[in-house]
Amino acid sequence: MSEINDPAIVGHQTPRIDGEDKLTGRATYTTDWQVTGMLHGYPVPATIAHGTLEALELDEARAMPGVVDILHHRHFPELQRSPNSMKHGDQVSEVRLPFEDERIYYHGQYIALVVAETFDQARAAALCVRARYRREHDVRPGLLSGDAEGETVDDYSRGDPDIAFASAPVIHDATYTIAPESHVPLEPHVTLAEWHGSEPRLIVHESTQGIFYERNALARIFDLPAERVEVISHYIGSGFGNKLFMWPHAVATAAAARLLGRPVKTVLPRQQDMMSTGQRPASRQRIRLAADPDGRLMAIHHDSTSETSLVDRHVDACGGATPSAYACDNVATRQRLLAVNHGTPCPMRAPGEVSGIFALESAIDELALELDMDPLALRLRNYADHDPQRDLPWSSKQLDVCLKGAAERFGWAARDPRIGAMRKGDEIIGYGMASATWFAGRQPCEARVEIRADGSLLAACGTQDIGTGTYTIVAQAVAELTGVPVASIDVRLGETSLPAGPLSGGSMTTATALPAVAAATRDALDALQEIAVGPGGHFAGHDRASLEVKEGALVAKGQRAGFAEILARHRLGSVSGKGSAAPGGERRQYSFRSFGAHFVEVRWDPGISRLRVARVVSSIDVGRAVNPLAARNQVEGAIAMGIGMGLLERLEYDPRDARLINANLADYRVPVHADMPDVDVELLDYPDFRFNEFGARGIGEIGLTGIAPAIANAVHHATGKRVRDLPITIETLLDSPLIMT
Amino acid sequence: MQMSLSPPDATLTVRLILNGEPVTLEVPPQAILLDVLRDQLHLGGTKKGCDHGQCGACTVHVDGRAVNACLRLAAMCEGQAITTIEGLAEKGQLHPVQEAFLVHDAYQCGYCSPGQIMSAVALLEDPEAATDDAAVRDAMSGNLCRCGAYRNIQAAIADARRHLESNAQQQGRQP
Ligand code: FES
Ligand code: FES
Repeated sequence: MSEINDPAIVGHQTPRIDGEDKLTGRATYTTDWQVTGMLHGYPVPATIAHGTLEALELDEARAMPGVVDILHHRHFPELQRSPNSMKHGDQVSEVRLPFEDERIYYHGQYIALVVAETFDQARAAALCVRARYRREHDVRPGLLSGDAEGETVDDYSRGDPDIAFASAPVIHDATYTIAPESHVPLEPHVTLAEWHGSEPRLIVHESTQGIFYERNALARIFDLPAERVEVISHYIGSGFGNKLFMWPHAVATAAAARLLGRPVKTVLPRQQDMMSTGQRPASRQRIRLAADPDGRLMAIHHDSTSETSLVDRHVDACGGATPSAYACDNVATRQRLLAVNHGTPCPMRAPGEVSGIFALESAIDELALELDMDPLALRLRNYADHDPQRDLPWSSKQLDVCLKGAAERFGWAARDPRIGAMRKGDEIIGYGMASATWFAGRQPCEARVEIRADGSLLAACGTQDIGTGTYTIVAQAVAELTGVPVASIDVRLGETSLPAGPLSGGSMTTATALPAVAAATRDALDALQEIAVGPGGHFAGHDRASLEVKEGALVAKGQRAGFAEILARHRLGSVSGKGSAAPGGERRQYSFRSFGAHFVEVRWDPGISRLRVARVVSSIDVGRAVNPLAARNQVEGAIAMGIGMGLLERLEYDPRDARLINANLADYRVPVHADMPDVDVELLDYPDFRFNEFGARGIGEIGLTGIAPAIANAVHHATGKRVRDLPITIETLLDSPLIMT
Repeated sequence: MQMSLSPPDATLTVRLILNGEPVTLEVPPQAILLDVLRDQLHLGGTKKGCDHGQCGACTVHVDGRAVNACLRLAAMCEGQAITTIEGLAEKGQLHPVQEAFLVHDAYQCGYCSPGQIMSAVALLEDPEAATDDAAVRDAMSGNLCRCGAYRNIQAAIADARRHLESNAQQQGRQP
């Protein structure tokens, strides 16, 4: 592996190569796909959360114009479940097949799929399907509606925290909760399924973060060889985790298409998208910290419970980042799981860790106050300069640079720590800060690169661009190694007929895909060089090793031959290279994580309790950002989402019957333009070559971690109220000692 | 008594100007402008994010004003000029707002972008609209961007405004 030092294109701001298509409306998202003879599916959601479906009355709906068929539990093919294995690449979001039985486990569970000639015919008929239920009353409305603790699914400990707690002079012990959140990707979930031929082939267009997982799962479910299923996803209206793995609407749609012998497209209406394609589950976390009077952490206890559904077990591991967060000899974490009558939760941006970091970084702030210490100084005092969990050195950790640099740019030193002491006009100013972190991982990946007759290149990899800018960084990597401009590089992603690529998830795509693309590029260059030094070649008789690659040409001893010239001389349309890459032994030598620091200023009006985030200053250490233009955008977007998590977002389930009350974009509030504060994001540039040759660790989730606790800490500074429950709504601040009455 | 939601069979004839071209449509009376654009006219650039007027992804111009196409019956558009994202670039040249979006990376997934751009163009062309940053943020708040590219969108709008103003000045100087 050769490190890419001093790169010309990687690490430089590059406008997206797919930008013009997106900005002119030419980019075809799955919702936009149309094929001849296509029918429209519209699911019918259960209106209760717990009970049995006793009867469906379909006559009226069936008689509606354009209705072709209605699928339901008595009219649905016999299919097999997917084995649901991450390792074997067939993980799904909900294992239960659609309409599998008559049990209702959550509000919004599909009870039928209406198929009609047009979208509005399908919708009109779906609204005429009547269902009769037998409700059951032992409903489980949600973790935060009761005090049930759930079963333990995981724990970790080092040292002896209990002894430390028994003797510690300072102890902090508090419980934190986070409401369930909805991903709300702006493009709802959508499937377009078509079957071809007598040896059936299934082609599925899906807005997904994982084409290969969906392909493999569909192959298992429909009992087909995987190569007869193709999943396509060229443009994705984002995902944030709820498009990682397939949901039942895709199975129902593919089954309908097979049954009816026509393509069927189902676009989930927004309400159903919010009810039945996952959410960040609610969590309750108890944090106990023990410290000496100088602020040295003696012990950390982190107990978490998160929700899952009654049909699947999704664990949102809140304590994941805690064991490596601080230098502390005695640490214990425990994860519990409670099954409730909600749709199955799923990973949502920085899953688990973002929740755990809210609790931990709030608790650290509270401890600092108890110790009368600056919260920044307390963090630096307990700085983990190696990974205490795995007892390994970090590959590269610049958290101290982040903390100090962001503090400086923010003006942290000018903070008056007294509650409510800083004011401007009618508003009280609060300052808060928190650390950010997210693990760095990579996966196996394959790629193909072709050098074409006109000197342009094609790079192909079966991963996806969910908006993070994957198309562009792949082109940058190829451009870096060939000297061909980014504009002359075509990138193809999002098809399972391409070499197998990774999920767009876990912030792993960059570190996973680029090394494979680089290997394929080198392989293609190799093929070209072999031709050039061979009989009749431009460099016949030269040693292959003496050839250099420069600006789309091979060069040796003052002689230069462009890629196109070489191919033309040999009457070749193209040469092709294959590459693959996978994590190696580096994981046994180092721990890999990204780090960051957020400093937040809130403004609170004690007259009307209006609360807003006014300013965010962040420093982020992700190794090298391959495209800083898109990478900074990722962090800014994560800050927006963090403001949603901190102040706005809460899925509300009725405590009486577990029905989801606010499954729409008016009642479930996401941040809008007016919520966006002044933001100053610095991306550090410390390439992590121990991780891969590009030095890149991935950028998608790190920015979200730490925002909510920085806000909560700032809210305490402004109002004197410690809010341990997200979101922090303004009514919680009405009993602040500073409120004007 | 239950009201039937069954759509009537009859269609209406609607004449409108779509992206500068006269178009005659046969639509059922209940047809929604957004569905007609996307499904009948194959103009997929205008996106559907909610169908309830809550996200702004479907924003188009009706006689120069930004409108949520999901809240409008096609039958209401008789005689009106509709512009969609497909009609914004002229002769293959990006509109200055599109150009500014590209330069400022004012998007991620791009699904909200057509709506953001149509709202921004309408705002910049509205002589009554206030031009300070807070007013722009306020005016754009009906266009959700779940990717959160808000700052870059705001920067792109400010940049496009400068560009359009200097264009207008140059044109003003010409005889
Ligand atoms: S689709 Fe029209 S506002 Fe959302
Ligand atoms: S760019 Fe994805 S919603 Fe705005």
